Parts: sequence; structure tokens; C-alpha cells
Amino acid sequence: MLNRFRILVACALTFALCWVPGFAFAGDAEDGAQVAATAHGLSYGIEGFERLAKGTARAMEGQPEGYRFPVDEDVDLVVAPAADRVVVWISPKAIERYGLDPQNNECVSGLKALVCELDSANCMGGAQLGDVDLPWYVTAETTFDAGGYTYGFDERGADGGRYVVIASASGDAKGGARWLDSAQMVEASSVVLRDEQGPLTSLASLLGGIDYRPFWVSIKTSGLALLISFALGLFAAWKTMGTSSRIKGLLDSVFTIPMVLPPTVCGFLLLMLFGRSTGVGQWLIAHGVSIVFTWPAAVISAVVVSFPLVYRTALGAFESLDTQMLDAARTLGWSERRIFTKLMMPLGWPSIAAGTVLAFARAMGEFGCTLFFAGNYAGITQTIPIAIYFEWMGGNTSVALFWVVVVIAFSFLVILFINMYTAHSQKYRERGLSRAERKQAKDLAGQGDSLDPAGGDALRIDREALAELMRDEPAMQGGR
Amino acid sequence: MFDMVSRRGFVSLSAAAGLGLAGCSGKKTSEPAGSDAGSAKSFSKKKAVELQVFAANSLEKALPEVQELYTDQTGTTFADTQFKASGDLVEQMRAGAAVDVLITASKGTMDDAEAAELVDADTREDMFVNDLVIIRAEGSDTKVEAIADVANLDGKIAIGDAKTVPAGKYANQALASVGLYTGTEGDDGEYAPEIAEKVALADKVGTAAAYVSTGDCVAGFVYSSDIFRYDGIEEAFVCPEDSHKPIVYPGAVAESSEHADEAKAFIDFCLSNRKAQKIWAKYGFELSA
Repeated sequence: MLNRFRILVACALTFALCWVPGFAFAGDAEDGAQVAATAHGLSYGIEGFERLAKGTARAMEGQPEGYRFPVDEDVDLVVAPAADRVVVWISPKAIERYGLDPQNNECVSGLKALVCELDSANCMGGAQLGDVDLPWYVTAETTFDAGGYTYGFDERGADGGRYVVIASASGDAKGGARWLDSAQMVEASSVVLRDEQGPLTSLASLLGGIDYRPFWVSIKTSGLALLISFALGLFAAWKTMGTSSRIKGLLDSVFTIPMVLPPTVCGFLLLMLFGRSTGVGQWLIAHGVSIVFTWPAAVISAVVVSFPLVYRTALGAFESLDTQMLDAARTLGWSERRIFTKLMMPLGWPSIAAGTVLAFARAMGEFGCTLFFAGNYAGITQTIPIAIYFEWMGGNTSVALFWVVVVIAFSFLVILFINMYTAHSQKYRERGLSRAERKQAKDLAGQGDSLDPAGGDALRIDREALAELMRDEPAMQGGR
Repeated sequence: MFDMVSRRGFVSLSAAAGLGLAGCSGKKTSEPAGSDAGSAKSFSKKKAVELQVFAANSLEKALPEVQELYTDQTGTTFADTQFKASGDLVEQMRAGAAVDVLITASKGTMDDAEAAELVDADTREDMFVNDLVIIRAEGSDTKVEAIADVANLDGKIAIGDAKTVPAGKYANQALASVGLYTGTEGDDGEYAPEIAEKVALADKVGTAAAYVSTGDCVAGFVYSSDIFRYDGIEEAFVCPEDSHKPIVYPGAVAESSEHADEAKAFIDFCLSNRKAQKIWAKYGFELSA
């Protein structure tokens, strides 16, 4: 119970910590594309700017034939950049209202600057209108011919939708519009410009937009994995200790090998074992064991990599115990289970606890095996390490950075916890020793021993061994 | 005191875990799997249909928007869609992943899936076409005016690993058209010595784009649609259509799908809905004619 509480506290602290360094990447937050603009000296502004990178010539029910772009019903402005010219359509309504003259260069240049600015803001890395200075062909006619292409700016489909359709005598109409911009024109005063986002609001929108499920998946997966590998690891260490040395060597290698092998090898072997590509896997799937790419697979991966850590530390702790003491307990009639819970566990606890924390950290950090065996399913098997990789890969660097900060903060907590715990348990031990030393020094002084009590380690051991021998001998003699 | 309590807590915890384990030690792994599969089945019966889509990596930004639209209109929901290299997706299906709809970025990968009887060949349909482009970091002065120019660049070139990444295969075909790659298929040759040292292989097309946007590579071969889904990269050169095989994205319903009709309906929606069409257009996917 208390342990679970500690984990919860660790989680809470992690969250608290990651909010502070979060400011560092506020600038990375994606800027929303600009969809409205105004310019000085113009009586109109542009709203609802849309850029379609590609059209389609696919035959569809309800849509007109030809290479076409779907556009909104009320667009006043359509810009179709071809290879050597830009064809622009302005609705007669807009021409009348804003007093535009398609033939007048002066009139068009203001519009051109505005459109280029918006196009550049919405190009998302594609070619831009402003890249090359091409001649603009401005028209108010719904059908217009230029450069061998016929543009229909107000074509209707049977579905009632509006389309810009491009046709070409040569058949390849795609060249008529490398992409298509469309927008509404409104009174300059009524354009609603989006506010520039400050660092705080963009941070808030970043944090609000993050999918926090990887955190819970990680905690859930490594928590359960830790329970399993803790129990299995202790059990394996306990049983391994009692076996003969030859079998022990074999068991030891089998139990330790997942720690030495690259996690991808473990993942590959598990995938082979449970996947459909092998006979064993097919047999298992036929018998209802279908766990590849599911949450249990993530847990198994985490168990496989964290188990050796618990096992090794527990075995080390158990082996360093005094065997005579265990034998003594046996002579007192203690059952093996009682020896395990009352003697071995409490005495080996500091090492086992440290190993357990390491195993938890290892389970949290598991990547290769999980990715192989459990895949990357958000909310199911996507743990934090996997989220980091895929968020970066998907271009969401700021989200990846967020998780990196979370992981670093969490790791600090783990190390802090280990250090505090070690310090705590060693203080306990030191205190105990010093008290014993004091007592021994007193005893020695009482006996009038001339030896220096400070350098008395060897002496003390000798005396203890001697006392034991002396105690043993009469007993043995008595036995005979 | 604290120490004692935690120790006892831990011991009882381990004992509980041990007991639980002893209860199902024989089939430790089958237990959670069995119950999971069972609950998943009853889940799908009770609630609306949930489709699992496996889609080419390049669809990572556009497809979720279309899926959201579809969920709004029909109530059909989607399990976490997998966006990986098309070859990886097919391997994952081979390994036994549950799938309803598969969309790959090349005919070849879909042919593999069809040959392995992973998809229903009758439902197969060409969905999108795309262009191969050479990209550079936004605002960089890298100049590419022909495919062969990549050999003169000072820095690494990101190319998808042709074994699993269709974009890499198309890139190699384009390189082969100017003699910088020895095979004609795109995955059967070697890079010419003048670029062999410069090629950085990526595990999916998105990784190639990411390499360029972070500045680790000066140029990269990706689809034109990738430019629209990544920040920090821009088009440097569009490879001529005759320099590589046509880039077609086929889609099909998976053979193992339990919701084959709903899966087919979703593919049809992608190809016929006006709003979906706008989303595809925004991200640079041209619906195949």
C-alpha cells in the first residue's frame, strides 16, 4: 500500500516538475495558419483563405467531370497558379462593391500583395505564389481561357457543391493549377484578425493538446510488470539458491540473459513465439492465446526486461547472507517459507529494494521489445518512450520534448529515492554498529585489554569466533 | 518505523503477487490474453463498430481528419490508426495484428499483402496518387534543379529504406534514371559511388522528412504531401513523373476483418465525400482518377 502511495507521489511530483521547464519550448508550438488579412489603403480584406494543394480528376457521383477543386459556395476570389502565369478570378459582386478594375494593374497589385502574404502563410512548405514573379491574369468571367487551359470558376455538381474545374485540350489539365487558393472578400473594417499567440497561451494550448495517455499506459504497464517480476524474481532467486551448482549455473544464465540481450532480440523472439508466422504461434493463437500487439504483450515485454534486475539483486542479497544463520533457523524448526519471509527478506531488503526501483525504471524505459511485440497503439501499448520516438517522427517535436522532460524528471526522482533510501538504511546500520562498538569498547576496557579499541575490528572478530568455538566445544563434547 | 512499515507492506505485496501467480502459474500468459480477447469481442457487439486502420506513414496528418469527419457523420469510431512504412504494416499483419482497412503507398506492398492473403483482393482500389519531390530545410540555400544535382550537394541525403519504405523505392528509381543507382526496380541495386557515402536511410518516409527538417540531412526524397505535414521543410525540386513508377496508394479491406462491410464503406467515403476530398487536397493527396 505504502509503496503504491510512493509511486503516486512520484507521479504527482513528476507532473509538477515538468510544468516548470515546459516554458523552454513554448516557442515551438505550431502557429495556426493565417486565414485572414488586411492591408493599408485597401477598402477590402480577405477572409476564409483556403489553399488546396491538389485537385482530382477521379470520376465521382454528383461531381462534374475533369480536374477539379471543391471550393466554398461564397468564395469571391480564386487563384490558380500555372507554370507560367497566375489565373485569378474575382466575383463580379466583389468587383462592384470594392470598385476593382481587373485590367488596372494598380488595383490588382494591392490584392496581389495580400494574396501572396496569405498564400505564403498557408503554403505549409509547398511552393509559394511569391517565389517567382509571374504575370497575373485577372478575370470576372466564370469561364476563362489561358495558356491552353479552360478554367470554369463556378461549376456545379449534381450534389449542389461548387467546383473550380480545369480542362485542357491536350488532356492533362493538372498543369492549369499547380494548387488553388480561394477566399472571401469582405469590408476591411469587418475582417477579424486572429491575435498573435503569446508564449503562455501557446504553452497552454500545447499542454492542452497533448495526449496524456502514454503516461498512464507507462505507469500501468510498468506497475503491473514490476509486481510480476518482483514476485517471479524473488521466487526464482530463492529457488535458484537451493539448487546444485551445475543446474544453478544453467538457471542463472537463463534468468539473466534478457538483461544482456538487446531488447529487440527479446521482442523478436516473443513475436516469433506468439505471432502468426511460426507454428508455435499459430498453435497458441488457435488455442486462444492471441496477445501480439495487445496490452498484455506490453506487460510481458516489460516483465522480460525488468525480471533479471530483481532476480540478480535478490540472488546477490540472499547469497551474501550467512548460511550458518539460515541453518540455525532450520535447526530451530523454521519452515523454509518462514525463513524466507522472516530472515532472508528483511536482511536482504536494502539490496532488493534498490533492485526493485531499478527494475521499475527499466520497465518504464522499455522500448525495443515493446515496439516489436506490442506495437504502437495510442492509449493501449504506447508508453512514454514509444510516444517520444513517434511524436518526433511525426513532426511534433514539442510534444516529444515534453515527454523527454517528464522522463528526465522522473529519473531524477528515482535516483533521489534510491539515494535517500540507501542513506536511510545505512544510517540505521551505522547507528547500530556504533552502539555495539561502544558496548564492546566498554567490555574491553572492563577486561583491562591493552589493545586499542578503535582498531579492534580484527580483535572483535577473533573474540567472537573464539567465544563461538568455546561455546561449541562443550556442546559437542556433551553430545558425544 | 517508516522502514518497518514499508518493508511489511512490500512483503505482503509480494506475497499477494505470489499467490495470484500461483493461481494461474500454468497459463500465466494465456490468462490475460484470453480475457482480453473475450472482452474485446463483447465490447464490439455492445457498442458501435470500431475500425482498425493500417495506413501508409505519409497519411499521418490527413487521415485522422477524415476519420474524425467520418466518426461525426456515422458514429463509427477508430482504434489507434497505425502509420508506418507500408512494408512494416504488411509484416505486422503477417505477425497477426488485427486490421480492418489497409492503405499502402505502393502497388508492390499491396501485392505482397494480397499474395499472403491478408487482404480481400475484390475490395482493392487505387485511392491516391502522389508526387516524388526533393526537399530541403525551410529557408536553406540548397539548390536542386535536376535529380542529378543531389550528387553535388555538400551533406547527407535522406532516403527511405527501400526494403520497407515505398518512397525510398521510388527515390531509387528516380536516382537510377540519372545513373546514380544501379537497379531499375528501386530495391535491387547499389548507390553510385558519388552518393553512396551521402545516403542516410530512413525507416519511413516521415523519418526522411524529419532528418531534413532537423538539419541532419541537406536534402531528402519524400512525397509532395509530406511537405504539408512537416514544419521546417520545403519543396526544392519535383521529380518528373517519368523518372519513377507512378506513385499510387491502394486500399483494401483486410481478410481477417470482422467488419468488412463497414471497412468497405469507409474506403468508399474517403473516395467520394466532398469534405474528405477537401482534406486530401489540403494535404496534397490527389484522388486517383
